[in-house]
This record gives sequence, C-alpha cells and structure tokens, in this order.
Amino acid sequence: MSTGLLPEPDQPGRVVDAELHLLDRQVLDVDGEPVCTVDDLELGAVGDDPDIDRPLAGDTTVVVTALLSGPVLGGVVGGRPDSSRRHRIAWRYVTDIGTAVHLGAHGEQFSATWVERWLRERVFSRIPGGRHDPEADE
Amino acid sequence: MRGPLAVALGILTAIGGFLDAGDLVTNAVVGSRFGLTLAWVVVMGVIGICVFAHMSGKVAAVSGRATFEIIRERLGPRAAGANLVASLAVTVLTLTAEIGGMALALQLASSVERRLWMPVAALAVWLVLWRVRFQVMENVTGLLGLTLIGFAVALYLLGPDWGELARQTLQPAVPPSEGAAVYWYFAIALLGAAMTPYEVFFFSSGGVEERWTVKDLATSRLNVFVGFPFGGVLSIAIAGCAAVVLLPLGIEVDAMSQIVLPVAQAGGPLLLAVVIVGLVSATTGAALETALSAGYTLSQYLGWSWGKFRRPAEAARFHVAMIVALVVAVGVLMTGVDPIAVTEYSVVFSAVALPLTYLPILVVANDPEYMGEHVNGRVLNAVGTLYLVILVVASAAAVPLMIVTEAGA
Repeated sequence: MSTGLLPEPDQPGRVVDAELHLLDRQVLDVDGEPVCTVDDLELGAVGDDPDIDRPLAGDTTVVVTALLSGPVLGGVVGGRPDSSRRHRIAWRYVTDIGTAVHLGAHGEQFSATWVERWLRERVFSRIPGGRHDPEADE
Repeated sequence: MRGPLAVALGILTAIGGFLDAGDLVTNAVVGSRFGLTLAWVVVMGVIGICVFAHMSGKVAAVSGRATFEIIRERLGPRAAGANLVASLAVTVLTLTAEIGGMALALQLASSVERRLWMPVAALAVWLVLWRVRFQVMENVTGLLGLTLIGFAVALYLLGPDWGELARQTLQPAVPPSEGAAVYWYFAIALLGAAMTPYEVFFFSSGGVEERWTVKDLATSRLNVFVGFPFGGVLSIAIAGCAAVVLLPLGIEVDAMSQIVLPVAQAGGPLLLAVVIVGLVSATTGAALETALSAGYTLSQYLGWSWGKFRRPAEAARFHVAMIVALVVAVGVLMTGVDPIAVTEYSVVFSAVALPLTYLPILVVANDPEYMGEHVNGRVLNAVGTLYLVILVVASAAAVPLMIVTEAGA
C-alpha cells in the first residue's frame, strides 16, 4: 500500500564520500597514465581563494580545493605531515571519479610526478632500450 | 591471437608456469619424508589458488584496478602500508629462492659453481624484464616449463606400487617415523608453496598488462581451472618420485640433485636433461613473476606508473623497484646461504602472509561499485570464505609450529 509520501527529490550532481571515493584512490591523467594516489584532500571555504590559508569558521561550508600527494606515513611517529612537502593537484582538473580519479590534463604538468620525470630524463632514457616500446613489433 | 589455438596456448602456459622453486623443493622434501600422505594439501592448495586467481583476474578485468591499488584503497595508508611491507618481504624472499633455484639448476646442467651463476641469472632476469614483451615472456617460460612433465613420466617408468600410493593419498596418516607437529608444519609449507601471495599480485597485474576486459573472463577462467589442476598433478608427481625412490632409502632432500635423482634413475640422462630444462625455465619464469610482483605491489601502493606494457622510461620508478629487488636477492644469496633452505623458509612465510592478500580480494570481489553485475556468486563466496578461515588458521599456526619443530628438523 502506498504511504502517500513523495519520493525523495533527486540530488543535483552526485554524492561522493571523500573517504570512500577519493582518499587512497589512484589518480590517472587524461591519457590514463598513473599520476599519484590521493594521499589527502585540501579543503577550503566556498568561493575562497584556495591559495590564501586562513582559519575557517565552524559553520563554513567547505569544498575540496585540491588533491594532495606526498609522504603518507609521516604521522606515524607523531604530529601532522608538513603540508609544504605535499604536491597539490587543483580540484578543477578532476573530470571523473570512478574506480580511479580521472584528470583532464597531462600528468607531466603536476609536481607530483617530478621524481618519475627526473628518473626518466636523467637515467632511464640514457640506458640502451629505455625508450624501446615493448609492444612494438620488432 | 584468438580462437582454439589461443585457448590451448593459455592452458599450456598455465600448466608450465604453475610450478616454481617453492613447489619443486617442498614437494620433493615432503615426498621423501611423508610419501603421498600430504598430497591432499596440494589438492586443497590448487583449489584455493584457482578460486582466488580467478577472483583477482575478474576484479582486474572488470575494474581495471590491480590488487594492491585495491588493498590501499580498502585498508587505508597505514594498514595497507604494513601489508605492503609484509608482502614485499615475502615476495623478495621468494625471488631470492627462485634466483637460487635458477643457479642450482644451471649448476646441475653445467657443473659451474652456483655462486658464479647467481649474478648471471639475475642479469638475465633483468634483461627480460627490460626488453621482452609480456606475452612472449609468459609463453616461452610457460611452454618450456611443460618439460617438467618428465617427473610424471619418471614416476610411470619407475613402476611404483600404485595401490600403495593411492592408499597414502586417499587415507592420509602421519607416518610412524615422523611426529604430528612436523606433519602439520609441512602441510602448511605445502599450502604456502601452492598458494604463494605473489601469484595473486602477478595474476591481477598481468590481467591489466594484457588489457583483459570482461570478454576475456571466460578464457581466463578456463586457463585457471584447467591449467592449474594439471600443474598440481605435476606437483604430486614430484612428491611421488621422491616417495618411491628416496623415502625407502631414507634420503632427505637437501640439494637440487636429489630432487632429480628419481628422474635420472627412471629415465637416464635424456629424461634428466629434459627435466633440467624444465627446472631452469620454471625457476626463471617464477623469478620474473616475483620480480615483477615486487615492482607491482610497491608501484600500486604509491600510485606510480607501472607495467611491462609501458616503455621502461615511462615506468621508471617501477623498474628501479625491480632492480633493487634483484640486487637484494643476489646480495642475500652471495652471503653463501643455502638456496634450498631459503626456499623452505619462503614457502612457510608465504603461508603466514596469505590472509593479507586474500581478504581484500574477497571483499572487493563482492563490491558492486567495482564489479557491477560481476560480483561473486554464492558458491564462490562460500568457497572463498572457507579458504579464508583455513588460511587464517594456517597463518597463525605457521610460526609456532616452525619453532616447535625447529623448522621441520
């Protein structure tokens, strides 16, 4: 029997659980190449400039302003990991959240991939075969 | 490649690739001391690895995510980090055992001292990881590994008392010469050898390497459920050879030459040569898979780009991780430790680490957000849960039994 209640109205957009859907997910760039894992999230007040760090009031509505990548286990010994050691990926680059977080830009432009790029350019490209495509027919 | 030929190739590769140094050594040791009274553990281990390899392959094919990405996502950075440390330690220990096994097999073929072979073997492994295409690597080592069928041929040629072997298999009992604690210690070692954690990392990441999709699930299921049981038959044949030849003479296996002694006795130099080819390719294949698994787990936990399908320069940190793992393995072996002893410890510590890998896979295979309509059915879940209970018990009992029995002495 119908209870006469109206169905719950559709929410605009999609509800995402930060812990379940964002934290510890793999981040892929526009070509599907891995960039990093979401180690933490940066939050800021709605409409605020994310580059200005100021305390938030208790009733402020916050949004995710950036994905952070960096030392994940810094807090084991005690204290919070230093935020300056973390790499930011601004939220505006995020295009989709599925079994991975997808970005609409190339991984090379983010500081999170600098070790990979350094090794690639300074070391691995110089070893014979480092640029060889294993899938190419020989 | 599609069609029946591809299916046959996949199954043959799965058979040939099933055995590694852990299986070879543990089965021979067990056969020489317990006959076939522990063959039931191999059967149990094979069913377990089929179920979980199928599950991890399915997760990789449907979600495109490999095992350790999922472990990190489900357990968070700390618990997954602890899991990573344990899994990496066991994987590198297994890699050490495989490189040691390669060196022993090459020593058997050449009479050149094993410590001269170790760096050569590691270099060969690195060159394959650096250069050779994933599918070629898998097919070549898998097909050459098929020559281990020589153990089954040897068992047949030895003309054993089949009734007695069947009785030992079907009505297992602790032999009077051995204690119950030692029996159960080796039962856990055999389970660890059959279900080694790297196999799950490798299978799921390999699914991503080979770009499996839902369409490939049927092929993958066939490879696993037909190929692995035949691999298990070869395991039992190795134990059977040792049971027929070594057990009555009271020879306990502590060298590679003793593992192949029954083959030499039954089939002469020709069959021995064939089996040595199998030993080299089985250990080489497993060394490649464990080195890759070390790279896979670390890269997936930290979100690095990984995979043999990429140019090495485009998965730079992944290749660094594999090189470090190989250097560590050779470093450990060059201290002069006995590779057979390393192998015996590696399978027991594999058993200890098993629940760490198998629990997250079982959880995610039930998560509709990842799996959609392909979530586990009831039967698969029932079997998976049963195995998880067994694995937790085996994992908890492994170290106490190791201490009580002085590692099976």
